[in-house]
Amino acid sequence: MKILYSWLKDFIDLDLTPEELAQKFTELGIEVASVEKKGADFEGVHVAQITHIEDHPNSDHLHLVDLDLGEGKTQRVVCGAPNVAVGQKVPLARVGARLGKMVLTPAKIRGVASEGMICSSDELGLTNTRARGILVLDENIPLGTDVRSLYGKADALFDLEITSNRPDLLSHLGVARELSALLNLPVKMPAVQNIAGEGESLKVDVRDGAACPRYSGRLIRGVKNAESPELIKERLAAMGLNPKNALVDITNYVMFELGQPMHAFDRKEIEGDTIVVRRAEKDEKFTLLDERELTLDENALMIGDETKATALAGIMGGKNSGIQENTTDIFIESAYFDAPLTNKTSKKYGVSSDSSQRFERGADIGMTVFALQRATDLFLQACGGTASQICDVYPNAYANPVVRFTPAQINGILGTAIEEEKLKDIFSRLALNFDASSAEWTFQAPTHRRDLNHRWDLAEEAARFAGFDCIPTGASRAFVSFNDNPKGVDLLEIFSDKLAGLGFFECKNIDFLGEKELHSFGFEVKNAVKIKNAMAKGWDYLRPTLLPALLKNVEFNERRGNHDLALFENTRTFTLTKGFPTETYTIAGVLCGQLTAQPFFQGKEAKPDFFFLKGVMQNVLGEFENVNFVPSEKAPVYMHPKICMDIVANGKKIGVFGAVHPLTLKESGIKSAEVWAFEFGIKQLEKSFSAQSFKPAQAAAQFPPSLRDLSVILDKAVSYAQIKDVLQKVQLPVNLSFNLIDLYEGEHVPQGKKSVTFTLAFSAPDRTLKDQETDQAFQALLEALRHSLGAELR
Amino acid sequence: MTLQEFQNMCSELEQEYTAKISAAADLAAVEELRVASLGRKGALTELLKNLKDFSIEDKKTAGPLGNALKAALTQALETKTADLAAKAMNEELNRVNLDLTLPARPVPCGRRHPLSIAQKRMTDILSKLGFTWAEGPWVEDEKHNFDMLNIPKHHPARDAQDTFFAETGSPLSLVLRTHTSNVQSRFMEKHQPPIRIMAPGRVFRNDSLDATHSPVFHQIEGLYVDKNVSMADLKRDLTAFMKGLLGDKTEIRFRPSFFPFTEPSAEVDVKCVFCGGKGCNICKGTGWIEMLGSGVVNPQVLKNCGIDPEVYSGYAFGMGVERLAMMMMNINDIRTFYENDLRILNQF
Repeated sequence: MKILYSWLKDFIDLDLTPEELAQKFTELGIEVASVEKKGADFEGVHVAQITHIEDHPNSDHLHLVDLDLGEGKTQRVVCGAPNVAVGQKVPLARVGARLGKMVLTPAKIRGVASEGMICSSDELGLTNTRARGILVLDENIPLGTDVRSLYGKADALFDLEITSNRPDLLSHLGVARELSALLNLPVKMPAVQNIAGEGESLKVDVRDGAACPRYSGRLIRGVKNAESPELIKERLAAMGLNPKNALVDITNYVMFELGQPMHAFDRKEIEGDTIVVRRAEKDEKFTLLDERELTLDENALMIGDETKATALAGIMGGKNSGIQENTTDIFIESAYFDAPLTNKTSKKYGVSSDSSQRFERGADIGMTVFALQRATDLFLQACGGTASQICDVYPNAYANPVVRFTPAQINGILGTAIEEEKLKDIFSRLALNFDASSAEWTFQAPTHRRDLNHRWDLAEEAARFAGFDCIPTGASRAFVSFNDNPKGVDLLEIFSDKLAGLGFFECKNIDFLGEKELHSFGFEVKNAVKIKNAMAKGWDYLRPTLLPALLKNVEFNERRGNHDLALFENTRTFTLTKGFPTETYTIAGVLCGQLTAQPFFQGKEAKPDFFFLKGVMQNVLGEFENVNFVPSEKAPVYMHPKICMDIVANGKKIGVFGAVHPLTLKESGIKSAEVWAFEFGIKQLEKSFSAQSFKPAQAAAQFPPSLRDLSVILDKAVSYAQIKDVLQKVQLPVNLSFNLIDLYEGEHVPQGKKSVTFTLAFSAPDRTLKDQETDQAFQALLEALRHSLGAELR
Repeated sequence: MTLQEFQNMCSELEQEYTAKISAAADLAAVEELRVASLGRKGALTELLKNLKDFSIEDKKTAGPLGNALKAALTQALETKTADLAAKAMNEELNRVNLDLTLPARPVPCGRRHPLSIAQKRMTDILSKLGFTWAEGPWVEDEKHNFDMLNIPKHHPARDAQDTFFAETGSPLSLVLRTHTSNVQSRFMEKHQPPIRIMAPGRVFRNDSLDATHSPVFHQIEGLYVDKNVSMADLKRDLTAFMKGLLGDKTEIRFRPSFFPFTEPSAEVDVKCVFCGGKGCNICKGTGWIEMLGSGVVNPQVLKNCGIDPEVYSGYAFGMGVERLAMMMMNINDIRTFYENDLRILNQF
């Protein structure tokens, strides 16, 4: 809402600078988006020309400047501006001149008397830029010109951000009322003549009283449309409107003044003598003033005559009944329309106006007739004519609820100790009716404050007008309770910290992706959460996987010269399960380039491979005993078909890791030939996680193990997992651990076979093993490998 | 040899060898001196051979004297040997000539995202203040995201939130939650007071992506409901929270504002941490920086969640994580957080 200071002063006597007023607005909770100062707030400043400059004897940055004032008069002043130069025409304020509230007096600056100053734009109050340097004027302006004549009268335009609960502040009167309560100054209502009028108005037939609880109007006959008076034109221009003609401008003017939206119809376009307020018919067609054509449903509220609609109630008039240059008789509408209905209609048809913005927030149902009278006065002044009587359909007078409360309750909500007298003072300024004669007080707000419905609302008013600084910092209170974090949150933190420790950088990406990416990553559109009103193509779905975004991060960083990347992200992913959205905490990562890229050391290239990634996964997931890695029988389409493992928890697949498919890399525009990736959901892991459980410690061995190397020849097709499985299943009387130390195929090993070598470590918790015990255990293992896998000792 | 002569000889030997040992230049010289003094034919060894010819009375004086001298010379030789060895090692160490200013070998180490770091800082402080972590869905029904929070249909406050709507098979109209406040309605409908929760997480607004807006961003919500909770409790806890975030000298102020789910509502500013309130570019000359929105829980919201507002009251606040991170980490463009440029990520 734009508020013009000079207009505001019509309603309240203010003696504040624009800056001081802006401060008051802030204190009241009205955010000031901007203050635009207009015109000149100074006197006795004249145009002078610089004729000579010399250095100040006692300063390295001040100058002594001689000026020609015209008519043979000259003046010397001290000036410190960096941009001062001979020949400039500048605004000179001499002793006695007024700049805002300051009156200039003689001064001595570093020992030199100065009887005036050359002004900057800020010093004249024209700007608030804090820029240094004097204002240089056009060289064609005659010497001695009063600088004030170059600028208009002093004024300020405030752009206020009015919150949606305070529609009453969408007018100059409303803002004045608010300031009146704060500053304890009276509100000056415009003087209206309250013309009773001659002859009947049009009749008004309100067919939906809930949608239109009040409808006031009157005819004005015999008007002569004209240009608006200068003041109205200026003020509307400040509000951002192009003045059109008096009949249209005055309705807008009264709206900005009193907050009451009004509409003027051309009488000759209304058939018969009844205004009908009704709901639209299904599929009713209506053409707005701005020529947009609407097809309406039964919810829209229409104003019209017996045969047609002439306005979309409270939102915009129709093309068929607008005011013309030659309009002679008008019907003025000043009504109250239901707020939610106006909002719904405005949104549904995408039509918004200054009028609809006021109705949808809630206008003042008590204002319709006063505003009509105010507009009538202005119409008659500007356009002549004769006003009819007023028709006012208002079957159920509206009253705000009576709030009952005690001052202790108000202070209880705020935690304050505002004195009763102070509260009484504040509430009496705001209330229509206020009674503090008994222990329980009663308060009833005037019709323009529908937001004051219960004691919490009144507590806010008390704090606002007493100043929010009255709220103290409360005394300490103890809070003794303990609850675990959600398990998913803790797990994500554990995994993320581990990954960061392993060299991965955490990323955060926007949660949207497109149909193409869904397909590339093997997801069906019907299983993804679609966004109805996506903001861009390619951002139509909530992502079911984090990998597409991470691959984009790789591509982005590669383009910026970073090829050695280890990235991860942790957040929720989204899928549809039987049509319902499922959200899963998911963690995913990608890895490419070199592990330690510092060319200076020229060490061996350390390129990550599958087994490095597997090591990462073991570090991250190793503590979960119910997690296994199994070669994927069918790798996802975006992964290498043979280099991909499933992550299985509690027998359920929760994710994969391996090499990204070269085609996926190509589609993502990634240069790196190899990118390693993993992704898993953590829902299954939450089941075996508790913040309170610690893994029991295994005592470290006290006696040294007996070591033996075991080298066997096996079929090439036998996997490490099979060998491991056999070794682990042999029942031994001693403890065993083993380490793969060599894997060999080729010379010295028969075709189709491979040699596998382990170091076996045998031990017992209570003694050093005897050779015989070790030999027996060794033989048992060899026998098992022979029997199960056809192994032969090499 | 008389006892007197023996005593004189001891004294001479002591003087002579102490001086020589002390002057020895290297280990070989020390060894030479050891042989010359304590060796089989060393000077002291030879001198001590005279002991056997002394009377029992004289032996009582000469014996200890000789032994003491032997011990003193042995000690002096050992000390000198150790000194010379240390000196030699020192010389060797000092011969090392490594350019320590060469770049570090890159030990692989990643980093958490700046927003995670900022959020963790906030949740850590709130945990200390007794807030429990609570969660809610990100794809949320309109009832929990709006209606229960006193943001009715067909009200401009609801329009102001630029909502994303989800298309699902659910009979409910689902949105991407526009704020973390949905956790308020979710939690309160299931729990009776006392309630003291925080709810960090992502939220979504249909805003264009530019330097100050992102369709996805992070908030952190706080909610406290108990008997006799007031604006003063809010001010106490937010003062503590802001001191934890910005330092012990931090001051906050309340400004009146409006949020549908709080009444009274307050915008909370902190005294500019960059200029101490004098006015600078970051606080746009005001001396204060807007940090978060807050207020006393609207009694209608309590009622909607099945909590009696005549018995209980509460406060709530909500804060943007990006906003804080941008301010504290000197980041001017919110998109920086979502580009994941390694050159930025590796700074935190």
